[in-house]
Amino acid sequence: MRRALFWLALAAVLIALPQGLSLSQQEMLVFLTINILLVASYRLLTLTGEWSLAHVVIMGVGAYASALYAAHFAVPVPVSMLLGAATAAGVALLLSYPLFRMKGFYFLIGSFAAGEIIRLLWRRFREPFGGPRGLTRIEPMPSFDLGVWHFDFFLPASYYYLVLAVVAVSLWTLWRIEKSPVGLTFHAVHWQDSLAQAAGVNVRAWRTLAFVIASGFAGLCGALGAHYLGTANPQAFGVEQMVFVLTWAIVGGTATFHGPILGCIALTVLNDVVLRGLGLEQARPMAYGLVLILAVLFLPKGLEDLLARALRRLRGAGARTEPAP
Amino acid sequence: MVEFLAQTGLNALYAASYLSLIAVGLVLIFGVMRVINFAHGELYMAGAYCVVALYAQGRAPFLAAVAAGAVFVGLLGLLMERALFRPLRDNPLGGLVASIGFLMILQAAAAMGFGVRMQNIPPASQEVLVIADRVRLALPRLWVIIAAAVLLSALWLFLKRTRFGWALRASAQDREAAALQGISIDRTARVAMFIGAALAGIAGALTAPMVSVNPNMGHSVIISAFIIIIVGGIGSLEGAVIAAFAYAFVHTFVATFADAVIADIVGLLLMLAVLIVRPTGLMGTRDRA
Amino acid sequence: MSRALLEIDGLTMRFGGLMAVDGLSFRVEHGAIHGLIGPNGAGKTTTFNLISGFYRPTGGAVRLRGEAITGLPMFEVARRGVVRTFQHATLFAEMTVLENALVGTHMRFRPSIFAALAGLDAGDRRAARARAEEALDFFGLLGLAQTRAADLPHGHQRALGMAVALAAGPDVMLLDEPFTGMNPEETRRMMGLMRKLQAAGVTLLLVEHDMQAIMGLCDRITCMSFGRLLAEGSPAEIRRHPAVIEAYLGTGGGHAA
Repeated sequence: MRRALFWLALAAVLIALPQGLSLSQQEMLVFLTINILLVASYRLLTLTGEWSLAHVVIMGVGAYASALYAAHFAVPVPVSMLLGAATAAGVALLLSYPLFRMKGFYFLIGSFAAGEIIRLLWRRFREPFGGPRGLTRIEPMPSFDLGVWHFDFFLPASYYYLVLAVVAVSLWTLWRIEKSPVGLTFHAVHWQDSLAQAAGVNVRAWRTLAFVIASGFAGLCGALGAHYLGTANPQAFGVEQMVFVLTWAIVGGTATFHGPILGCIALTVLNDVVLRGLGLEQARPMAYGLVLILAVLFLPKGLEDLLARALRRLRGAGARTEPAP
Repeated sequence: MVEFLAQTGLNALYAASYLSLIAVGLVLIFGVMRVINFAHGELYMAGAYCVVALYAQGRAPFLAAVAAGAVFVGLLGLLMERALFRPLRDNPLGGLVASIGFLMILQAAAAMGFGVRMQNIPPASQEVLVIADRVRLALPRLWVIIAAAVLLSALWLFLKRTRFGWALRASAQDREAAALQGISIDRTARVAMFIGAALAGIAGALTAPMVSVNPNMGHSVIISAFIIIIVGGIGSLEGAVIAAFAYAFVHTFVATFADAVIADIVGLLLMLAVLIVRPTGLMGTRDRA
Repeated sequence: MSRALLEIDGLTMRFGGLMAVDGLSFRVEHGAIHGLIGPNGAGKTTTFNLISGFYRPTGGAVRLRGEAITGLPMFEVARRGVVRTFQHATLFAEMTVLENALVGTHMRFRPSIFAALAGLDAGDRRAARARAEEALDFFGLLGLAQTRAADLPHGHQRALGMAVALAAGPDVMLLDEPFTGMNPEETRRMMGLMRKLQAAGVTLLLVEHDMQAIMGLCDRITCMSFGRLLAEGSPAEIRRHPAVIEAYLGTGGGHAA
């Protein structure tokens, strides 16, 4: 009952959220929502113990693929988005053959190299990728009517609702995967891969599975962004963006499902609202870098741990005061 | 054609020289601290900005600016060791992320201090060594080649001949065993970090007049350095130097005969190939990041 | 003599110039508790790793019910019914005791993404849980099901390692030095558990150092030295075997020879 109330309240807040915001803030909200799915999908990959640096490039694969399908094959945008996600998953499957021969740091660097190669291919081949300037005038999401509601997806608020629905369903899917025996197997692969193998787990197949699913959702994120922005170019999916995803996950803490999401929201608010609000335009990366270092040094388990401790203290205090007359 | 090949070879030699300075520092730091310094490209950038500040703006002699750059960047390295890598010694992923944070700070500092635009630096010397009619080497490039040869030889002697070098190699091989031998890990880490950072600073300072100096200049250099340390077998100084030459020659020739993007792709494919054939690198047991 | 369940035939492993295992052959009978002993460095653990697929042998064959399983990866060996445990307490330390055992049921109830998303795996989940709990109950760990594996005392961690293997439903369980670091009381209890496993129809092959435990427990013993077969027989035969006595005294008596 309490749980249902919590979700209802959260849904109400999320639906009401764009109302009080300016157009640019609504736009920020669209990207924040997409990024939440991006970092949550990244966590699924890290469940098996491997950290990839190709996640953002894979997201770009979804963006490019979806845009190209819509432009060249006249596929309706919602369908092309799903095809873009599938393409990203397919590219991940191909990459998994060389990459999962590696582990740990070597996987990290190998995934980085693979991602950079993809980015250079976009840059090199003007047909069909548009070269360094990338794709422009990407087919927008067609507007549609739902009884009394009219959704014109040029408006950030409308697009936000679309993204919110897609992201909510995706997060629910990721959550269900993690809480299922499939998720347990991912954890097992992470913590003791030889013991998992002794129990008959094909470790490499399961790492690949996590990589492919995570990449599919990353591709969906890319497609969602591309059809809103109308552009996709190699710079948009570079190392800098990957660093952001990495820091959201690490500052938030990857031990729980909500950790990276928390990190994404907190750091986005810090970066785009607080630091921008303080007018520290050039010092922004500096403050951001400083926060990153402080978080790694003093919050090794991430923000989620801080939140959990705060909640425990709150609850502990509540439990102590309740029995008092 | 022969002259053209010779000229391209000289260009490759120059690239190999400054890349090996950077890669060797990266390997040295990894060897002792087991952390990949993502900010290494920005240490290189900091060296270049020292030349901008002291030589281009401050009118100091070029070589004095280079020396100051080496010391300044070496000190930055010490700061990183003390503030980041030492507290995070048992957390390699944390060390990596902290170095990313440091990278952002350095980039922002350069942008705030000097602006994001490319810096204009007068050449340190106008002289050109004419080897043949169409085979020429600008004197500042020759300096880079000589500096790399001298510094790397000196480092090699230092590591092989001095007690300190022995301690450094021992801790790179096995930290616990080295500690049991009475080697101070903190002290070796400090020296490794200072030398590694200073080498990157010297590379940045010496090449500053010949490259476009801007806050993001570390990015392309770090990718090349990663390729080199992987191809060379991470943790091997000799391997890094050999790989720097191999990479520089392959990259320069492909860039000259095809185009620069293809050359970048070839370099990355080279690294992927090495990773696939030897998935855990030379130091197979240290494969967990 | 009945057909052997597990047959090791001319097994060889060379590491560089070192012959760790050299043409080793022996048979493990169905339903037996079979011990593999030998002085330090005899190649017991290497043999173990070769049978379980942790290493790929340089030569020879391992056959299960006559079918070659040589050189298969560990998970494939496990899927054919040969499940191993690890030295020390190798567990999923961050997971609960129940979750550890659930991983053991992986082969029987292979998790599927689609079933999990569609909610079609409720029956499988119930059955997997029942099986995991049964395995925990077998080792007396059911009461600790929600404890984090890392928080268990050492003896319980060993038992949990075996429970994970049991949950996998093996025909042959390979136990790597199950008595190491145990006091006499714990050793006695562990021996009881192994007899119980035998009664449940599991064939056991154990690598062990502790001669006392192994003599009182095993039906048959294979003794190795320097990678080769030294002797094979019942505990009484092994105890009297001159080569075995010499090998153990040789390493125990000093390195003068």
